[in-house]
Amino acid sequence: MSKRHALIFISLTLMLIGIFLASLTLGAGSLKIGQVISHIIHPGISSMEGDIIWKLRLPRIILALLVGAGLAVSGAVLQGMLRNPLAEPYTIGISGASAFGVSLGIVLGVGTSLLPVFSAGAAIITMSLVYIIACRKRFSASSIILGGVILSFFFSSCVRLIFSLAKTEKVHSAILWLMGDLSCADPILIKIISFIILGAIALLTIFSRDINILTLGEEKATYLGINIEFLNKLLFITCSIIIGAAVAASGIISFVGLIIPHLMRYLGGADYRFLIPASALAGAIFLTLCDTLARTVILPLEFPVGVITGIIGGVFFLIYLFLSKTKKVF
Amino acid sequence: MNSLEIKNIVFGYHKEEVLKNISFSVRRGDFLGIVGPNGAGKTTVFKLISKLLKPWSGEILYNGTNLNNISLQKLARSVAVIPQILETPFSFTVEEFVSMGRFPHLGRFQSLKKQDYKIVEEALLLADVSHLKFHRLSELSGGERQRVILAQGFTQTPQLFLLDEPTAHLDITHQVGILDLIKRLNKQNGLTVIVVLHDLNLASEYCDKVILLKDGKIFKAGSPWQVFTFNNIEEVYKTTVVVKENPISSKPYCFLVSEEEKQRR
Repeated sequence: MSKRHALIFISLTLMLIGIFLASLTLGAGSLKIGQVISHIIHPGISSMEGDIIWKLRLPRIILALLVGAGLAVSGAVLQGMLRNPLAEPYTIGISGASAFGVSLGIVLGVGTSLLPVFSAGAAIITMSLVYIIACRKRFSASSIILGGVILSFFFSSCVRLIFSLAKTEKVHSAILWLMGDLSCADPILIKIISFIILGAIALLTIFSRDINILTLGEEKATYLGINIEFLNKLLFITCSIIIGAAVAASGIISFVGLIIPHLMRYLGGADYRFLIPASALAGAIFLTLCDTLARTVILPLEFPVGVITGIIGGVFFLIYLFLSKTKKVF
Repeated sequence: MNSLEIKNIVFGYHKEEVLKNISFSVRRGDFLGIVGPNGAGKTTVFKLISKLLKPWSGEILYNGTNLNNISLQKLARSVAVIPQILETPFSFTVEEFVSMGRFPHLGRFQSLKKQDYKIVEEALLLADVSHLKFHRLSELSGGERQRVILAQGFTQTPQLFLLDEPTAHLDITHQVGILDLIKRLNKQNGLTVIVVLHDLNLASEYCDKVILLKDGKIFKAGSPWQVFTFNNIEEVYKTTVVVKENPISSKPYCFLVSEEEKQRR
């Protein structure tokens, strides 16, 4: 590991601790940093502050950390695997699919607690479809993008069809979900999500050197001894699982998977042994920051977090493009 | 001893046959050139012997073993392949990029050792790109980039080097520079080289043996003087040429003749 990479990791870790504590103190009913720390050290004490920290804020922050890390890592991996700078979790068709699943659920009148199931179900069906399309074409990068983009368009048309048929108030709640929401942080959900996302990130880290080679193109990677079909399938399935879990837990949160890997690549280079853990940390920081803003800026109301990530991410990415005009973005 | 033996291979894309019963062998230490017009099957031969494609029938033996029985990783430990088009979309540094050539020699949980770094250093030195070690690939010129790509091939510590059009889009300085470098490795280290070339004169100058392909068949194989006769070239390329001896190297040299000149005669 180079000095530069070490420096980046140390800064990211400090930022992560900072945003974690800040996010615990901020919100409706501000707490002091000392209170927060003492409640974390002594979890048994039951008080109102303790309940706010342990039952409301902490689960939500942990969910934000996990989803942010998962989205950023899967974005980084998909960009390398598909060798496309615009690849992100939703390029492979998941966004359209879960939007469709949720819209369908709302129109059928199922309860909000069942919506994640509809979302995940639709995501899994889409992944399988993209997978089948890609398998027929030797599982190459272009067939995955093609399949994903086509299904994306198809499902977004289906969503509009459903919206045009459904009642207005139902459409409203569907739209809120589509904008991303971390408020349904249920302890069991968090346990499942953390198991899936952390496991998947660990697996991708093991294959980071293979991803480096894959960025040279599928032909050259074969000449360096990589079984392309196997690696593409492994990466695609692992990323899909991360995305499926993230979407089921929090709706559609855009931009994290796009900007975080680009920023990390700009700071520390393209080596995936660096890029995967750095993107995980930075994605976790970014989404927690955005969610803290989303629930504190217009108290007592809340923004959907996807709106914040979209606005901050969009502005940030534009600045980055302007500043880096002499260097290649990719 | 034969390094590579190609026996009666037939191959095609979809239902159309591209290669029709091709056989040849390459001995250890050979410098073989494959030439022919566009669409004659040069790159297809290249992809078959580097195991990217599988022949419909026939077999390819590498050091006496059928390619089907050698894993991609094992093959990559002794065969380096430089394809015509190589994507370098990410901002890797030259050192990171060149070290990737060690990949086939490493186990999943192994990282580069002292000895691997030594091989990388030597490859950088050999390709004359040591001074670019910490530059990003996007900052290099076309000629430097090609040298870096070769350096990556050297770190694989190959016995057989396969190159598809290594001099395409380069100026004459770099064309000669790249081929001189490969020739030096061929002479000094006994590296076996198979190179696909478009430029007949470069092929004539550097290769000991040449295979001239036409419509998926070997039209003529042999030394440059046996292959590059005006009869052979005119029949394969349907173009009028004059073949003379290069006064320095005594190798055949093909001169092209324009339509205007032909009519003046």
